[in-house]
Amino acid sequence: MTTRSRATTVATHGAMILLVLTAVVPVYWMIVTAFRPEIEIFSLRLLPQQPTLENFAFVLTAIPMLKMLGNTFVMAAATALAQILTGLFAAYALTCWRFPGGKVVQSLIALSWLVPFQVTMIPNYVLSTKLGLLNTTTGLVLPNAAAAFAVLVLVNAMKSFPRQVIEAARMDDAGHWRILWEIIVPNLRPAIASLGVLAFISAWNEYFWPLLLIRKIEDSVVQIGLQMFMTQEGNQWGPLMAAATLASLPVFGLYLVLHRQVIDSFMKSGLK
Amino acid sequence: MLRRTFLATGVAAVALTALAPALRAEMAAGITAPVTISFYSYNLASAGLNNDTTMGLINDFMAENPLIKVEPIGAPSNEILSRVQADIVAGQEPDLAQLVFRDLIYAADDLGAEALEDLAGDELAAHAEGMVPSGLDLGRVDGKTYGLAYTFSTPVMFINADIFREAGLDPKNPPKTWAEVKEAGMAIQQKTDKYGFFPGAFGPIDGTFVYQSIVMSNGGIVREGNTLTFADQPAADAVAMLRDLRDSGAYAEIDPASHMDTFAAGKLGMFLFTSAVQNRFIKAADGKFELEVAAMPSFGDKPTAPTNSGSALFLLSKDPVKQRAAWELMKFLTSKHAYTQITSKIGYLPLRLDIVDDPQYLKPWVDAHPMIQPNLEQLTRLTPNMAFAGPNYRQVENMMKDAATEAVLGDEDPYEVLRRAQVQAQALMPADG
Repeated sequence: MTTRSRATTVATHGAMILLVLTAVVPVYWMIVTAFRPEIEIFSLRLLPQQPTLENFAFVLTAIPMLKMLGNTFVMAAATALAQILTGLFAAYALTCWRFPGGKVVQSLIALSWLVPFQVTMIPNYVLSTKLGLLNTTTGLVLPNAAAAFAVLVLVNAMKSFPRQVIEAARMDDAGHWRILWEIIVPNLRPAIASLGVLAFISAWNEYFWPLLLIRKIEDSVVQIGLQMFMTQEGNQWGPLMAAATLASLPVFGLYLVLHRQVIDSFMKSGLK
Repeated sequence: MLRRTFLATGVAAVALTALAPALRAEMAAGITAPVTISFYSYNLASAGLNNDTTMGLINDFMAENPLIKVEPIGAPSNEILSRVQADIVAGQEPDLAQLVFRDLIYAADDLGAEALEDLAGDELAAHAEGMVPSGLDLGRVDGKTYGLAYTFSTPVMFINADIFREAGLDPKNPPKTWAEVKEAGMAIQQKTDKYGFFPGAFGPIDGTFVYQSIVMSNGGIVREGNTLTFADQPAADAVAMLRDLRDSGAYAEIDPASHMDTFAAGKLGMFLFTSAVQNRFIKAADGKFELEVAAMPSFGDKPTAPTNSGSALFLLSKDPVKQRAAWELMKFLTSKHAYTQITSKIGYLPLRLDIVDDPQYLKPWVDAHPMIQPNLEQLTRLTPNMAFAGPNYRQVENMMKDAATEAVLGDEDPYEVLRRAQVQAQALMPADG
């Protein structure tokens, strides 16, 4: 190895280590702060001198944290599943069927991605109220059951799928349903997995819609729970970090299970 | 987050304009059948004592009034207005809402809050007996009470006694005037590695009431009618005084978003902010530093004009029976019993000073917590915080706050910065009359 290439390697690795630290340190600080007693909350020591579980105990007694985690998990999983399903159907129609206005429909879906949820939030809320969906998981999921992002990701993934394979299946008398589920979906697993993780995380982090739709704290989601430790009178840092640690565990667990597919998909599509 | 809140509020506000109710019915004389009312409160949206105390009061109320069921609905203070607006638009009419004082005129003019004199008449006068004289003024618009002051506090000076001693200052003799604050701040800056003084008037955390307290303590005012006056002489002089503190080095060069954390971490000598955070600072200081509390500083011999942070209760129901139930809850939440709970557990000020010396109510707690005394003393000079009128009221307030921040923390002439902002903001104010 020449001196120049060694220097490049060292610089590359140095930059990567720096990026890893940038990503890991906030998470490390969150976990460490969760174990700090009140007197050490603003300490800059890397480890608490007197580690305590009092912040976790406070979180579990002050708010229905476990119930909220359960609600959030159900809501996020249902939302991710719904977005994948609607995304698959829409993407299949847009890529495999030729119909008048197909391109216009795709453009409109892409444009709808630019409309902030806050703009449609009040009409959605009025409609949900009329449908009797206040305080329900269905109400939380329904407005987000179809997402432009999911459709566009799956359209791109399906466009790169070999047409010849689909044509061959058709010649074997396979219907659209069979082609979608038995031929396309198994081959799009990495893209679907990464989309699932992103949709799950996005739904997991949802704040405004649950804030509006849910009236009872025990029916609410974890982001509302986190907000309860942040007030105009200051943040309760210890409990907030303990709650944030608990809230990040399911997402972390999901990533651990699906990390291979997610990394594959990111590598292939450059999706971020 | 702020942008999204603003957007949501704006959308709901547009929808509300078409739905502003004009119906008026006479409140029922009593409750004769079971009724459920909704109570929107930001205290319910915070974990711990705020929520527990408020829920405790609601449960006490329901125990005393078995025919009335209260549905508690929590939302953070900066989002509760959007929540109320959305529910009005959706036909889920809120019955009683705790809103911050900045929303006072909007609640009266656009949300359809009931004027309590029209609704409750003599009952209001009877309920107001024993309240701080200017207490009802806090929620008045054009001479009528639309908001009944509920949880509120005034700015006090929190002092880190350890930093004072390190700088050679006497924490038992805290600065009483702004000139003394400057002196003490400079001493801290020169003799310690800590910060001198910071007013919680600027930054993302609402501190307009601190800014208005300083302005009014100098004889200024932020508006007269619908004419903005925050750039006029006495008000602008107050801001120029803060700029002078900054130029002298007495003013802490810290992130305005973390002023409370800087003080709680023991790195700030003097912090002027709402007394509502007193319990938090007592807890944070425990075992770390000695905490002292003093009244807000004055401009020389001029008496201070502490304004109120916090919230009022607004009765929004249009149903006569629910109005009665909501009014009963309003009375209960501002009763001697409620203020004993609110002051001793959450840390807000009691609107009823007669409970302070009453051994049945707050006296044992006040005796054990002398730090509340400067705050109680300030109540005698309580001056209502000024809200702005018109659909752009939040934008006008933000423009004023941003200008004051730039005047103090920027490099331009503070008078010119304020004047420019006042001209721009005036265009967003409704016409007088």
